[in-house]
Amino acid sequence: MNYAKKLMLFVTMALLVIAIQFSGSVLAHDEKAEKEPYVPKFVDIYEGFPDWYSPVFKDNVGLSEGAGLFKDYYKPLKMQMYMSPMRHYEPMDILDHSLFIEKERRDLCIRCHDGINTGAVHDWKGSAHFNPRKTPLIARKTKIIEESIGREIINVDCFDCHADTEKNEIRMPHAEICSECHERQVRQFNSEKNHGRPNHIQAMEANVLVPWYPEADRRGWLAGNAGCDMCHGISTKCDPCHTRHSFSAAEARNPKACMTCHMGPDHPDAESYGESKHGMILEMEEESYNFDKPLAHVQVGEEYRTPTCQFCHMYQGGGTFTHNFVSKGIWRMGTVPPSNIEYKSSLKDYPYGINIIAPKIDVYSDENLDKRDKWVEVCSNCHSPRFAYTYLEQLDDYMFQAFGLTDQAQKIIDDLIAEDILYPSVAERDIYPFGDKVAELLPPELIGEGVYNAFKSLGGKVPVVGPILGVYAMFYQGENNPSVIETEYAKMWFWYKLQGYKGYAHAQQDIMWWWGQAPMFQQLGKIQSEGLRMRREHALEQRGGAQPVSHSSSGSSEGHAAPKKKSSGVPTGNVWEVDELNY
Amino acid sequence: MAYLNGKKGISGRNNLCWGNIIFSAMIIVFVSMLCLGNTVMAGEKLKGKDLYNKYCAPCHGEDGDGYGPLYGALYPKPRDFTKGQYKIRTNPSGSLPTDADLIHVISVGIHGTSMMPWDILDKDQITSLLPVLKSFSEAWQYREPEPSVVLGPELRSTQKTIARGRELYFQKECWKCHGETGEGDGPSSYDLEDEWGIPIQAYNFTRQDKFKGGATNKDIYLRFTTGVNGTPMPSFANELSDEDRWCMVHFVKSLATKTNKEDHAE
Repeated sequence: MNYAKKLMLFVTMALLVIAIQFSGSVLAHDEKAEKEPYVPKFVDIYEGFPDWYSPVFKDNVGLSEGAGLFKDYYKPLKMQMYMSPMRHYEPMDILDHSLFIEKERRDLCIRCHDGINTGAVHDWKGSAHFNPRKTPLIARKTKIIEESIGREIINVDCFDCHADTEKNEIRMPHAEICSECHERQVRQFNSEKNHGRPNHIQAMEANVLVPWYPEADRRGWLAGNAGCDMCHGISTKCDPCHTRHSFSAAEARNPKACMTCHMGPDHPDAESYGESKHGMILEMEEESYNFDKPLAHVQVGEEYRTPTCQFCHMYQGGGTFTHNFVSKGIWRMGTVPPSNIEYKSSLKDYPYGINIIAPKIDVYSDENLDKRDKWVEVCSNCHSPRFAYTYLEQLDDYMFQAFGLTDQAQKIIDDLIAEDILYPSVAERDIYPFGDKVAELLPPELIGEGVYNAFKSLGGKVPVVGPILGVYAMFYQGENNPSVIETEYAKMWFWYKLQGYKGYAHAQQDIMWWWGQAPMFQQLGKIQSEGLRMRREHALEQRGGAQPVSHSSSGSSEGHAAPKKKSSGVPTGNVWEVDELNY
Repeated sequence: MAYLNGKKGISGRNNLCWGNIIFSAMIIVFVSMLCLGNTVMAGEKLKGKDLYNKYCAPCHGEDGDGYGPLYGALYPKPRDFTKGQYKIRTNPSGSLPTDADLIHVISVGIHGTSMMPWDILDKDQITSLLPVLKSFSEAWQYREPEPSVVLGPELRSTQKTIARGRELYFQKECWKCHGETGEGDGPSSYDLEDEWGIPIQAYNFTRQDKFKGGATNKDIYLRFTTGVNGTPMPSFANELSDEDRWCMVHFVKSLATKTNKEDHAE
């Protein structure tokens, strides 16, 4: 009896529990059936970034202030609204668009804009956004997106990208907006951060976190930097490769998609690839290339006779391709010195305790050897692995020797500064760009104790030569700063070394030599002559043959006027050697 | 090159210096003295080992870990034998391959990869490689290969069997990896990895000439039945009946628009 009672009790309890659960689930089900309004899910484009990043790069401030750590020290150019919309976009004020958004009149967007921006509307009408079942492939992709967002897609129109339905405002779409549907692509793009700069996602950081950027604004030169904003605007925008408003993946798979930015004296990627056999064969046989196919499904040889920028750089190994372009980067920009050679100049102490620039590259680290293997995986689609390894090994040799040459040049300038022969001396010329604020804005944890102290005690009258921060010589000209010898050196390591590097890496023999090594020799020659000239004049001066000349070309003693020579705590070494000095 | 400081070869993994050479020489002398007693055994094993080192090690590595000097250039990667995981078998999922399976794969190769058919070797030579392969993984000490599955009579390919196969293809969610049209572009196809952590492509059924385990009906039937060890491709032996698996074979073959048929089932 007892046993039966207990069993009854157990069964009753169990039934009760089941009933409760069931009613709960029915309730929950009913709630679901009420059809919750669709809420877009955006990927945080700065997911995994340090905490300080979003407030200074993402939070919208319109054009009232800048971005990054120097945000309070410059006012952005107006076009930054479009180059960096997350941070700087301001809603338009001529015609109020809120009515169209409130009433969700998608049709009126098109009616009106067809008359204003016929081209944009036409582009969109030809796009997969207009017809998301345009081809079988696009239809399959659309189906995947529909499943992931839980919503049917008839088309993607102006309203979807441009209407901010919370604020009833027009918005400029950026990567986060795109991520609502293209989450995978945005996450892959975000993963570029794992490999450090240079990359696409931190491009805006690289643009405005350099001290010559606020300095340019302070001196009224910022309009000249518009080109910088345009190239570096890729960090939060998705339309630089597959351009608006057709957003064609086939377009983005064509090397020409990269060439507006990746060209010119510090990264002649377009020139070196385009004029290589790889590029030339593409140009001659472009109609036989199939850019409609996703890279992972391209039949090598048949559909691509030679590789494209995208095929090589988006490859992740194992037959996969993603929106991360930098995961195989070994030499990266070509500026950071390798740890595998010995330096005679202050390059031996690079990165001088500075934490915000990359440390020396160990070309033979396990990580980099794995990356090299992945490159050879790409090359081996067509070449023998031996041919590929041999070529890439030779690229390493070129880079070692190129860094050797720049080391010689840097030694000459280091010595001139150390012996206080550089003319005019660092103390008697303009400051390092924004050098009077560097110590105020950048704590020692970021730039190292030695560098911080130098900037703090000298108010920016600090000599800075060579990679990376010595590149200011290419972006700034204060009074007598940089001097000719420093600019010639900057051209040597930031232009010609990089040109030869890209020529080598992209298999363009002429760029390798005539844009690379040959002009590096010429620069070295100029630096040698200039150094000798300064030494000769210094010696004459010491003999009393000539009086020191006033260095201020304007004759004014205001502003950054030179203090008297020996009395001033004049730095007598490159800033990198500051630790050894006694301030 | 004055600036070079301890530059390694590009593979960087064989950094020989005199210390190492002398040390290894001492070890070799020591070991060979130890082995002097049973030279007959060592001599026997050496036969296959020499062959392996000559023809297999450049890709699969001397230690059978798939990390030979050509590793970097190859995709798909050379098989790592140390886990005892073999894709192409005739026995149930998870099992070690039978000797006949190993001989089969060595003789006919793996399509779509650099594993060519080693029919250039004679049968004795191929057989001599087996103990070498088995020596790389402890699995062979603890487990026996299960017997080959028994093939039922093959169903004829008809509109009906193809339609049934198609139904199963969607029901069993094959399309999630292999794509709705068998092009290997399904929603899950982007994140696949094999047991070695290497990204792996879902098979593109439209390219018949590159079915790894062979493109005959029997080959494909066996993949469904045995699964592909070490990859996300499971066995369907328990989930699908014998007839259904044949229907799947016929449907998959109907996706192959490229007909470069290479029979090598035997």
